[in-house]
Amino acid sequence: MKSLPKVATGPDQEALHAMWSGTISFSLVAIPVQLVKAVEPGRVSFRMLHKKDYSPLARKMFCPQDETMVPPDEIVRGYEIGPEKYILITDEELESVTPERSRTIEISEFIDLKEVDPIFFEHPYYLVPMKGGEKAYRLLAEVIRQTGKAGLAKFVFSEREYLVAVKSTGEALTLITMHYNSDVATADEFSSGRGEADAHELGRMKKSVKKMMAQFSPEKYADRRREKIVELLGRKVKTSALVEAPAAGEVDSEGPTDLVATLQEIMQKMKQER
Amino acid sequence: MSKTFVEIEGKRLALSNLEKELYPAYGFTKAHVLDYYKRIAGFILPHLKGRALTLKRYPEGVDGEFFFEKRCPSHRPAWVNTAEIIKDDRERINYCVVNDLATLMWVENLASIELHVPLGSAGSPEIADSMVFDLDPGEPADIVHCARVALILRGLLTGLQLASYVKTSGKKGLHLYVPLNNGKTTFDDTKAFSRAVAETMQKNYPELVTAKMAKELRTGRVFINWSQNDSSKTMICIYSLRAREKPYASFPLGWKDLEMLEEQGDAEKFQVIHSDAVERAEKLGDQFHDVLIKKQRLPHL
Repeated sequence: MKSLPKVATGPDQEALHAMWSGTISFSLVAIPVQLVKAVEPGRVSFRMLHKKDYSPLARKMFCPQDETMVPPDEIVRGYEIGPEKYILITDEELESVTPERSRTIEISEFIDLKEVDPIFFEHPYYLVPMKGGEKAYRLLAEVIRQTGKAGLAKFVFSEREYLVAVKSTGEALTLITMHYNSDVATADEFSSGRGEADAHELGRMKKSVKKMMAQFSPEKYADRRREKIVELLGRKVKTSALVEAPAAGEVDSEGPTDLVATLQEIMQKMKQER
Repeated sequence: MSKTFVEIEGKRLALSNLEKELYPAYGFTKAHVLDYYKRIAGFILPHLKGRALTLKRYPEGVDGEFFFEKRCPSHRPAWVNTAEIIKDDRERINYCVVNDLATLMWVENLASIELHVPLGSAGSPEIADSMVFDLDPGEPADIVHCARVALILRGLLTGLQLASYVKTSGKKGLHLYVPLNNGKTTFDDTKAFSRAVAETMQKNYPELVTAKMAKELRTGRVFINWSQNDSSKTMICIYSLRAREKPYASFPLGWKDLEMLEEQGDAEKFQVIHSDAVERAEKLGDQFHDVLIKKQRLPHL
């Protein structure tokens, strides 16, 4: 099913475009790199269509009070501080607190990767060396790989300030944006308390875990629902008629009525004269 | 790379790589392309004048990679005219404007085999100077079917007191132009109008015509592409060469010629090759002159 037209089956070309370029630096090293998305969630997305003529639908802001659509120039931003009480925040105010986009990823410390719980990891990106940076890049990737360390840095990107970890994946360097400590719920909130584990039960469970041990091989797992949707689409492309939306600008298909009537009249006359 | 210096109307220009075969199957070099444009200049220049030019460049010839260039290259000579056009209130593009022979030779030296221009002038890009019906045949339909559609369209437009003119695209289709030149008609007007015309055609000749973009509906029919009536779209300029195996030009056809060609039914006979283009233009004058000057208004809008 992989060669299906129009149904994306993996990260597309778009995902491979550099999202940022700059340098990674620490002490005296500066490596020019580009940032490329490492993961493109393979969700099959659908468009919502109007049943009567298959026009694609758009989201609009609706005011339930007035029961009307609200145009963009009548929309402002409010922070809700209580029932029906808001603080207004303008675009300018928001912009004034947005840090400037980083030019460099300045590694401030190296930490042991094993110490970081994966719960902190958000989005992974590949760092791709640019011209002149290849050698230093290879060196850093190798050192990080051999020592099992990760570089920590502050990084401003798409209007947010991130804490990022620079680590190695295979022979490449990867950058992972991380959740801030305050955003992560602590395990204590959800654990069932400690202390009452029975030694016998503990041993039994350890045994059953051991039986099920395996090497992690990510290729064994695939999004089954997605595969089935892609299959379904493949079948339907071949067997069922496609519906067609009026092309952009074709939505109102009447045209000036006077003109349409006149055209038809002339057409009629031309056909009779033939 | 060989260089030849020329002086045109007091402007100095370096021409390079003249021996490069731009149409390898036809043995037509960059020197030939430059020569064609020099000889046709008197006819093509009025149609390029004051318009934001999109270059379609074929540095490796018609079989090689090409690219569209809207931004006028920054390495241009100081005497090249440009026009800045702002799209959607943000994107500014500085286009080349070809008003004279020297500039025409300069853009051709960039291997801009095809010259594409909008239907509005650079000074008022939102005003349509003409309305166009881009007739695009879906196989197995061909240019003969386009001629049939063009002839019916002409009848329809004549019924609305509108004069129309037709040219070959230089590829597979025909372009029918309705001059407006009234300084008022917008692209919203021409789009609504041409679309109503195209849909009337589709309704009356469903086996011959489609007004819809969808590829599968075009098979065996002529697609009347009314959506070219848009300030952001360009059309191949009349007299421009096309990048295909032979150097055919987009060339005007008289209505009598078109009737004859349609009767003969030979698609090849519609095409006008570079040397015939020059010869016919010199003999008949610019048959598209009226497209530039004739003032007309769209009725019933």
